[in-house]
Amino acid sequence: MNNILLSTLIFLPVIAAALVLLLPNAYKDSFKWISILVSIINLLNIFTLYNTFDRKLTSFQFLEQYEWIRMGLGSLGTLSIDYILGVDGINMPMVLLSGIIFLAGSVASFTIEHRPKAYHALYLLLTGSVIGCFVALDFFLFFIFFEFMLLPMYFLIGIWGGERREYSAIKFFIYTFVGSIFILIVMIGLTMSVSDTFFSQELNTVVHTFDFRLLADFKNYISGSLLSPDNSQDMFGIPARLFAFILLLIGFGIKLPAVPLHTWLPDAHVEAPTPVSVILAGILLKVGAYGFIRIAYGFFPDIAFEYTHIVAGAGVLSIIYGAFNALAQEDLKKMIAYSSVSHMGFVLLGLSSLTAEGVNGAIYQMFGHGILSAMLFLIAGVIYDRTHNRLIENFRGLSSKMPLYTMAVTIGFFGALGLPSLPGFVGEFFTLMGGFQSKVLPDWVPMLATLGLVLSAGYFLWTLQKMFFGKFWVNRNHEHHMKDLDIREIAMLYGLAALAVIFGIFPNLIFDISGETVKLFLDKF
Amino acid sequence: MLEKLSHILFSTRLLLPELVFAGVFLIIVAIVAFSKKSHQSHNLYNTITISILITISFVFYVFLSFLEQYFDSGVMLFHNLIYLDKLGIFFKIIITISAIAVILHLWVVGYKVVGEFYAIFLALILGLFVLSMTTHLLMLYIALEMVSICSYIVVAINKSKSNAEAGIKYLLTGATSSAVMLYGISLLYGMTGTLNFGTQEFATFLGQNPQWVGNVAAFMTIGGLLFKLSAAPFHSWTPDVYEATPTPIVAFLSIAPKAGVIIVMIRFLSGLSIDFRLILAIVIVGSLFIGNLSALWQNNTKRLLGYSTIAHAGFMLVGLLALNQFGVQSAIFYVATYMCITLSAFLLVDLLALKTESYELTSLKGLGQENIFLGLSAVVIMIALVGFPPTVGFTGKLLIFTALWESYQDTGNQLLLVVLIISLLNTAISVFYYLKIPYYMIFKDPMGSARRYALDIPKRFFLFIFIFLLVYLFIKPDLVMTMIEML
Repeated sequence: MNNILLSTLIFLPVIAAALVLLLPNAYKDSFKWISILVSIINLLNIFTLYNTFDRKLTSFQFLEQYEWIRMGLGSLGTLSIDYILGVDGINMPMVLLSGIIFLAGSVASFTIEHRPKAYHALYLLLTGSVIGCFVALDFFLFFIFFEFMLLPMYFLIGIWGGERREYSAIKFFIYTFVGSIFILIVMIGLTMSVSDTFFSQELNTVVHTFDFRLLADFKNYISGSLLSPDNSQDMFGIPARLFAFILLLIGFGIKLPAVPLHTWLPDAHVEAPTPVSVILAGILLKVGAYGFIRIAYGFFPDIAFEYTHIVAGAGVLSIIYGAFNALAQEDLKKMIAYSSVSHMGFVLLGLSSLTAEGVNGAIYQMFGHGILSAMLFLIAGVIYDRTHNRLIENFRGLSSKMPLYTMAVTIGFFGALGLPSLPGFVGEFFTLMGGFQSKVLPDWVPMLATLGLVLSAGYFLWTLQKMFFGKFWVNRNHEHHMKDLDIREIAMLYGLAALAVIFGIFPNLIFDISGETVKLFLDKF
Repeated sequence: MLEKLSHILFSTRLLLPELVFAGVFLIIVAIVAFSKKSHQSHNLYNTITISILITISFVFYVFLSFLEQYFDSGVMLFHNLIYLDKLGIFFKIIITISAIAVILHLWVVGYKVVGEFYAIFLALILGLFVLSMTTHLLMLYIALEMVSICSYIVVAINKSKSNAEAGIKYLLTGATSSAVMLYGISLLYGMTGTLNFGTQEFATFLGQNPQWVGNVAAFMTIGGLLFKLSAAPFHSWTPDVYEATPTPIVAFLSIAPKAGVIIVMIRFLSGLSIDFRLILAIVIVGSLFIGNLSALWQNNTKRLLGYSTIAHAGFMLVGLLALNQFGVQSAIFYVATYMCITLSAFLLVDLLALKTESYELTSLKGLGQENIFLGLSAVVIMIALVGFPPTVGFTGKLLIFTALWESYQDTGNQLLLVVLIISLLNTAISVFYYLKIPYYMIFKDPMGSARRYALDIPKRFFLFIFIFLLVYLFIKPDLVMTMIEML
């Protein structure tokens, strides 16, 4: 029962990061291999996890629970913070995704020449904290990982990024930090409103807890406390629970990012080095979505049910606004960044429908978008590596010189625009179906969202046509640089493409895992 | 008569550590007066000072458990002039520890200060000891003046022009706030007929006056305290003094007098029978905004830290605003952990200046690349100042905000929620300037040719202890909290 698999996933990279820091610079060629090795071990461990994961169970599995901090709060009782890790149908797909994306990212980091020691140490730290964030089942622990991942990210963008890296790094940091402050308020409020009834009796005092499982259950709320469901106290004229829910929407909405809180994302993406973009789009955005499902909807089902149309509205707005912006971009990477905004909107739409199809579809969309967006950013990285230029208009007819690359791009683009048998289709189809079936959303909401599909077909196909077809030409006489993919790039792009096809044809690989948990999740509404 | 004498004797016995301390002060004065000035003398003074400080902190620690056996909460000495309780002893330990760290800082970095400094330093500590064990307004004033006068001297002791300027500025603003404080004390005395603010009659009589009269008198009285705390609106001396004064002394001024003030504030506010929250909230909000917004424009690390202490003074008071048992505990926790953070921050700034010979931010360019340990330390210390996990700065902020939330939940007072939100907002603002230091050290490339900058073992070890504490206390905050809970 008390297996240490999940802890290994978190602490192996952290220990490896320390190792990289301690190794002298003479070994600097080995740092990237350490990264890759750790990512492979992690992925293998995650496969074990995935295979032994009991699909029938709705409770948390691979649970690890240790007492961490027990602190007396004087008149308020005791504060209990535990080290709890576990997976269920909601975070298991995310853990699987992190394993895949971090491996792809570490392979993509191969070309980093500038200060490799610091880079790989930070990369490994980021790995540990992102996985920790997904598997933590204690709000305090979750929050620590959630905040901590900002730091390596800040340095990764700020040191290894493009021209305006410093501006983007600080913008990214401030945005997400403000978001996490909103989450912090709710965390304090929740923990002050919830008591661990079992320990409270044992210790004969009120034990305030951060345990996700207890926070999600209404019977643990202290009657009359500010965030308890029976409380009618207002905060600035808004019911306290609604106030907390809105704070969470803003906090996780920044991370997701949902329009209009998305403005940090294009900057961060454009300036970040390729592997960091891959991680950012592939995994970090999903942390926001995960927070929506687990915390905003999971702990505030009553409010979420009533105000789910706000989330749906933000989702549809992101879908359409992101798509229109993507259509207007001249920079390939920026186009992909806005398409991310658009596709993450489907996650919100699916979740807000509060139907089994919608929520499962949202989880699937998170997974599928993770793989596809990682692929898309790698694609952008390929031409940037060769020409230091990403403007779409600078390239024409690449298909004749780079057939392997064109093939990969085609799979990636068609996957993202929703060709059946690829993940984009499955995710969008199920979230839209959820939207139409939903009893809480009017029909025009998913209808508007389908507009996003049309637009995404527009921008992806347009780009494909402009860059890859016609007579071969590259601006500024870079033609001779345009070699086709090397082995490393083939491994990354086709590896991800293979995964995209597998998960696109067999979506049950994800639905099997999430299904039971989602059923239980929806019982609350 | 005999009764009085025996009371005095009994009181003297309980104050024995302080008396011995005062004796050492006199011994140092004597040594300074009669010995020749030599280059080696500061080693001798360092040794004497550190041994007395270590001894006395140990004595206090023993005292902490001994006191409980004889007196359940606290004991009044010298006819109510001195109030000895565990809270006071705990704060005396905090003050002593920070003094030890400061002497180590002087030693490790190799400052050569004149012998008189040590004597005055001990007198300053003695003043803080008295400050942390009184509930008597007269004693409070005397202790505060003792602290102030000693501070003026240690600030100006280097005799350089900027030192003198800072010293004079400090003296003038300090004298003004003392005058304001005295006036406030006289008003309070007029209203209540007693000088002891811990007593029941003080509370009763004060409550009989109109709300705003009591508020004005109380505000004037704490004016002198706010000056020492460098809280708004008595903050204006802070940046200049911080910039001009030798760094170890600034490090001491940034924590020890503040700890002394916080304990007096705890005692004063809990005895206050009027609603003082609005004024306190204004002081907090003012300090936070003035500190954080002004720090944004600073190019000098010491000035930047000066404004940062103004902001942190606001955060310390947040715990007191909650005004319940947990609020007080969280404020004490904040002070105890802020001690580690601020001492390490000043140590870091000093170690950086050893290499760059300037406190300008731009001179830090690339230092973190030349010495990875310093770069990492800068990140840890600065995120601790922001209140970012995994450092103890986060735990401290979490606790004071929790206390404030709980107080809001109990009273439904919107003011508390507003302060909570403003202080959280200020945490976000502070990210901008705290991150500047690691930003220059790590992001910017070194100016000119990159040379390796190696620290010798004592410096590295000393800094490492701080870094370790900052992270370790985050993992195990209960170590400090259980101690605070017993007070």
